[in-house]
Amino acid sequence: MSKMKSATELLPLTPPVFHILLALSDEERHGYGIMQEVARQTEDALQLGPGTLYGCLKRMLAAGLVEESDERRDPELDDQRRRYYRMTALGETVARAEARRLANAVLAAKSKRLLDRRAEEGKS
Amino acid sequence: MPATLLTRCFCAIYALLLNAYPREFRRRYAGEMRQVFSDRCRQVARAHGWPRLVRFAVASGADWVVSAVREGIDAIVTTRRASARKSAPRGFVAEWAMTILVYLFATTTLVQAYVVPTGSMEKTLRVGDHMLVDRLTYADPGSAALKRVLPYRDVARGDIVALLFPEDVRQTYVKRVIGLPGDRIHLVNGNVVRNGRRLIEPYTQHIAGTRDPYRDDFPTAPDMYTSPRGRDMLLHHVRAGEVVVPPGALFVMGDNRDNSSDSRYWGFVPREYVVGKPLIVYWSFDAPTEDLENWSLRHVVDVSLHFFSKTRWDRMLLVPRSQAAVETESEP
Repeated sequence: MSKMKSATELLPLTPPVFHILLALSDEERHGYGIMQEVARQTEDALQLGPGTLYGCLKRMLAAGLVEESDERRDPELDDQRRRYYRMTALGETVARAEARRLANAVLAAKSKRLLDRRAEEGKS
Repeated sequence: MPATLLTRCFCAIYALLLNAYPREFRRRYAGEMRQVFSDRCRQVARAHGWPRLVRFAVASGADWVVSAVREGIDAIVTTRRASARKSAPRGFVAEWAMTILVYLFATTTLVQAYVVPTGSMEKTLRVGDHMLVDRLTYADPGSAALKRVLPYRDVARGDIVALLFPEDVRQTYVKRVIGLPGDRIHLVNGNVVRNGRRLIEPYTQHIAGTRDPYRDDFPTAPDMYTSPRGRDMLLHHVRAGEVVVPPGALFVMGDNRDNSSDSRYWGFVPREYVVGKPLIVYWSFDAPTEDLENWSLRHVVDVSLHFFSKTRWDRMLLVPRSQAAVETESEP
């Protein structure tokens, strides 16, 4: 399948794309929801601006990583301008592949003693 | 409360800034982006107060600059790729348009196809010679600098030129240039005398057995073939039995001297009537004059049936050359 083949071609993902996929991995969200979730995941290290967010979403829609959802999850905030996005099967495959790639990178860093617990604690 | 005012203010500015994005992108995402921006503004203002709100606005400004540029480039690349993908039908049209344009340019300024309809240049050019006329060589470019760049050359004695027939500019004739402005011309027994020197012209042919006083001893009393234009020339431009070519004009004759309708009969050719220089005979087909002047069904049938037998293969790709006549020293 060409889509499965393209999954590895899309790696490595840029941090915004990977975090948007992570944000959508458990539930579908609208733009602002994605922005909040990404900020929460990264402890405010990655603050997506609207331009970056929708630029990424545009490319992810084109690549088939996410799709628009018709359902309205948040009836209180619901209005015409709020669209909801969800991760596709391809998006999940790509996110898993990227997570594995990052995990390998982390393992490599650990083996080089770049990631011992004390350094980590000292930082945070 | 300053935060709400600031929020409203920033939202208005952001709505304006969104115009920097490409149209497609704007149409699809601008509404959502404004919503996200105002949501975020309100939340930051509520949770952290206006200093953080200003910081968010500044960060959004930076985000706007970077992403607007990125989407702009993206839009250009996508459009180009889309047009490249569509290129099959459009390329076809574009190619033909280009071909037609080049053809029109070539046929209007560079070369022109021409068929010799009469035998007045016989020996050099035959009836049915199809040739290309180089329109550039004799076309005055206007400025001295261009003259150096373009293959411009002025008309010289002995040149074969294609010209608009002065009596009917819809027709193109091919003749040889005999006299330039200032030249004195007359004929003695069929021989051209130019500026007092008899010419030996190897390119001419004489077929008539009898002598015609006007044709062979020009300029004498006009005969029935001399047109009003020719009579005007005889009236105003003859000095001491010789025609004097006026400025900006040419005296031309056919190589088939005894059977040629030329300057002897219809006068000088204005320099600007010169169309060009015969370049090459690309096809020579043995056909009568009337068929070459007006294509008829009969001619089409004739060509298709007798293409191989009536094509004069030996004349293919023949280059009609200018040839200067030898000027003898003495008066005849």
